[in-house]
Amino acid sequence: MAMFKYTKEEKKILTRMFFLSGTLFSGFTMVKMEGNGFALTMSPAINALYKDDDAARKAALKRHTNFFNTHAVMFNFIAGLAYAMEKEKVEKGSVTDDTIENIKVALMGPTAGIGDSFFFNVVRVIAAGIAIGLCSKGNFLGTLIFIALYGGLQGVAKWYLLRIGYSMGTTFIDKVFQSGLMTALTKSAAIVGLTMIGAMVAQMVNVGLAWTVKVGSTSVVILDTINAVMPGILSIGLVFLLVKLIKKGYKPITLVLGIMVLSVALAFLKIF
Amino acid sequence: MAQSALLVVLVYFILSTLDFTLTSWQVFTRPIVVAPITGLFLGDFQTGIIMGASLESIFMGISAIGGSVPADALTSSIIAVSFTILTGASIEAGLAIAMPIGTVMASFNGLFFSLFAGMAPYWEHLAEKGDMKKFGIQLVLFDMFIGRAASMITLYLAVAYGVDSLNALLGSLPVFIMVGLGKASGMMTAVGFAIITSMIWNKEVGVFFFAGFVLAKYLSMPTLAIAILAGVVAVVYFFNEKKFVDLQASIKGKKTESEDFF
Repeated sequence: MAMFKYTKEEKKILTRMFFLSGTLFSGFTMVKMEGNGFALTMSPAINALYKDDDAARKAALKRHTNFFNTHAVMFNFIAGLAYAMEKEKVEKGSVTDDTIENIKVALMGPTAGIGDSFFFNVVRVIAAGIAIGLCSKGNFLGTLIFIALYGGLQGVAKWYLLRIGYSMGTTFIDKVFQSGLMTALTKSAAIVGLTMIGAMVAQMVNVGLAWTVKVGSTSVVILDTINAVMPGILSIGLVFLLVKLIKKGYKPITLVLGIMVLSVALAFLKIF
Repeated sequence: MAQSALLVVLVYFILSTLDFTLTSWQVFTRPIVVAPITGLFLGDFQTGIIMGASLESIFMGISAIGGSVPADALTSSIIAVSFTILTGASIEAGLAIAMPIGTVMASFNGLFFSLFAGMAPYWEHLAEKGDMKKFGIQLVLFDMFIGRAASMITLYLAVAYGVDSLNALLGSLPVFIMVGLGKASGMMTAVGFAIITSMIWNKEVGVFFFAGFVLAKYLSMPTLAIAILAGVVAVVYFFNEKKFVDLQASIKGKKTESEDFF
């Protein structure tokens, strides 16, 4: 990896991406989570790569606003990788939109796990441990050490992860393409991606029925009855209902507002 | 009190904006940084530093992993410190209100979180227009002022009028609106997942969605463990496909060889 040579333009783009990556959480919504930050971080790369094809540029930007969620530091690795994949797509046509999306989705689960356990649960705890000792004696140095250790390390890691992602992506994808295994890679990434989406639906999507029906003197909690069939079956149902609606051409805004209105109405009826 | 309340809002604004910078996420918004700075602004630096140590220990195990925020460390630290300094209460009393207020603030933020989800299609539309400078500026300005307005107003009210009146205000909202929006925010992520599922769905490997769901729901496995298992399957799948590709290539290779031969 140390052998990788960046051109002047690549360096410029990577530096701009690094500064933009700080905005990862801006415009955070429950619908797309870090999608907006992802698109913004990718924008220097996309603008440069697609400068001759405006329609493709806009489509790529829209594509990168898709749902995305990972640890803020590990995110830079995926952004670098995405830059490499977009470059391959434009220059050699070896990568498709599907491959890029699949690899992004496949990586967000593992990178979130690694980032949270390393930075949040190890580095932060060590930095805070040192800082707490000093601060409890009234020494402000503790706070400064915390910022330098935890913040500084995260900043440095972000800088290098972005570059590692880019150089790894460029060499790796070239290799895969030359051996004609791009479809196999896309499908393998889809296996991880779809598994992770299934897991995240189980963890994050909550359909909280509070509906109870009185049958004679006993009351039946509907949610328990449904979950007895399969826990979380309502979440799966909701996601696939939405997939169907999206394929039918419903816009996300309709779905989001629909969910909001329906939830408040159902809460009024005491079903939620 | 009104002046102190404004100072406290300023602290919140500065620290949450600094968190945008290169140090990445949750550095300037941790209690160990927040408490001393709040103390500095309110004129009692020392109390702030000492409370920072205790608050950091309290919030050590509480993290915002996976988009759910159990208690807001930033606002609760600010309120705990300003409560102690402004009312002259003991540090212990200030620490005692940190957790409950953090939970109230988190649920209040959650309410607005679900309202702001309505912005997602607007952002997508803006990105699609391709003017990324405008996109970036609007995102950051939205975050700095509108996105945080709710927190800043609650913070102001909490410090200026006391925590009790804030609770009363929350209680005066119709219950079904709070409950409904709360539930909606739990379902909102489904829209994002649905968009991405409809994009990457593939008949051959689509069933893996259910494998992931079962591992997380029935076995409560952590994300990394699920990712490793999925990775193992993916690697096996990849090498199986590779065999086919190699086979195809070798058949083709033989053909060209024999053609050369003749």
